[in-house]
Amino acid sequence: MDFLDAIRWDIVWNYRDLFIRGLWITLSLTLLGYIGGIILGLLLGMGKLSKKKWIYYPSKYYVDFFRGTPLLVQILLIHLAIIPTIFGHSLGYFVSGVTALVLNSAAYNAEIIRAGIQSIDKGQSEAARSLGMTSKMSMRYIILPQALRRMIPPLGNELIALLKDSSLVTVIAANDILYAGKVVAGAYARFWEPYITVAILYLLLTYVFGKIITYVEKRFSNSYVPPKKKTISVTDRGRVGGIGR
Amino acid sequence: MKKSKKLFLVGALFTSVSLLLSGCGEGDSDGASGDGEKYVVATDATYAPMEYMDDSGKIVGIDIDIVDAIAEEAGIEIEYKNYGWEPLFSAVQNGEVDFAVSSITITDERKETFDFSDPYYFANQLILVPEDSDVKSFDDLKDKKVSVQINTTGHEAVKDLLGNTSSSIVATETMPLAISEMINGNADAAVGDNAVINEYKKNNPDVKLKVIEDDSFEKEYYGLMMKKGNDELAEKLNEAIQSLKDSGKLEEITGFKVE
Repeated sequence: MDFLDAIRWDIVWNYRDLFIRGLWITLSLTLLGYIGGIILGLLLGMGKLSKKKWIYYPSKYYVDFFRGTPLLVQILLIHLAIIPTIFGHSLGYFVSGVTALVLNSAAYNAEIIRAGIQSIDKGQSEAARSLGMTSKMSMRYIILPQALRRMIPPLGNELIALLKDSSLVTVIAANDILYAGKVVAGAYARFWEPYITVAILYLLLTYVFGKIITYVEKRFSNSYVPPKKKTISVTDRGRVGGIGR
Repeated sequence: MKKSKKLFLVGALFTSVSLLLSGCGEGDSDGASGDGEKYVVATDATYAPMEYMDDSGKIVGIDIDIVDAIAEEAGIEIEYKNYGWEPLFSAVQNGEVDFAVSSITITDERKETFDFSDPYYFANQLILVPEDSDVKSFDDLKDKKVSVQINTTGHEAVKDLLGNTSSSIVATETMPLAISEMINGNADAAVGDNAVINEYKKNNPDVKLKVIEDDSFEKEYYGLMMKKGNDELAEKLNEAIQSLKDSGKLEEITGFKVE
């Protein structure tokens, strides 16, 4: 096997510190970007449902802008133009990277959240209101818990997509996984070993994230049965852990 | 009847696809080797003033002028293709192009995988710092953050100083980006080839920067890079480079004498 003999993993091993740092940078960029993106996305999603024009239009234009322009352009714009203009100097690739990922994923999350809320039947909020709940209470106790369950699969998708999109921050010299691969590829003018390593590391992260998403989805699904109560009879199943039945 | 018609359609599709593919193959071999007259040359046109695109999208620069002169001398035709820095190496290795010109420094590591022509230009690294910086030499960068263009010889030099995997190295895609990282405060200094740094300073006189020279940088020689074992082409190019040196034409283009 000439091909296998020719593979040189030592070149990747020599740069292992860079790959390990890359793993942490990618992971923290993604998680911070995701959490920030959900918080901001929730506000924007509600904003897009608002009847008040001064809330609706800014939310709408925000989503239009960040969904309608490439993330790569947003990263460059934030890192090279917006942050240096506001602060007089750069705040480093990490701040720029997190900012770009938060702002970008918030736009996608806003649409997921808006669609999730709109998918709940109008009768639900009418019933809640007729029980004497205020519109805030019916949103909080009746609509959101049901909508949240439907948002979990697309929000999980968004996490995986964000993880992969985070590789774009390499362009502002963020020390992420792809950056490590590029440095090794350049140092030796070899491309198989570094980029396969990069692919495996991303695959590892998406695999772990996928497992977590599946668990969360199951946990909140309609037919969820808590592990300890497995002996409960079939006829009772529908009631256990179900929300809104 | 219907079935046979379907079969015919599938057959027609396959034929046309295979025709298309074979067409592509022919086109490639034409471009790469051809009749020995026309050569395809890869470059990374983001490196003003050595090679860059002018406002009409044409690839121009000092490197390009030199290769044009070489081509004239050797009596060959040249077609430039903009590949980008990293793809350029695999394009040469795969034989997609005949050779590459892109301010490529001749190094021992690269010589393991590629052949080079004789040097046609020499460069040395310069340090670019803000005007009020206290940096006086390359050694002063030891505890500083330094920006470079990724995988250039400047990057190599800084890796030797700060360590292969140091997080104080800010390695960006292009030299202009590396300089803006320094200006925006992400790095204390930028290190790059003399031609590019001087060009930047010339084009941006209002930005308060100073250039530091350091003799500890090794002098670097640019060469035309080709696939290993391409002796015939190497000989042709070297002959042309030699006669350009003899006639003084090379000095005319670069502005200095290349020994």
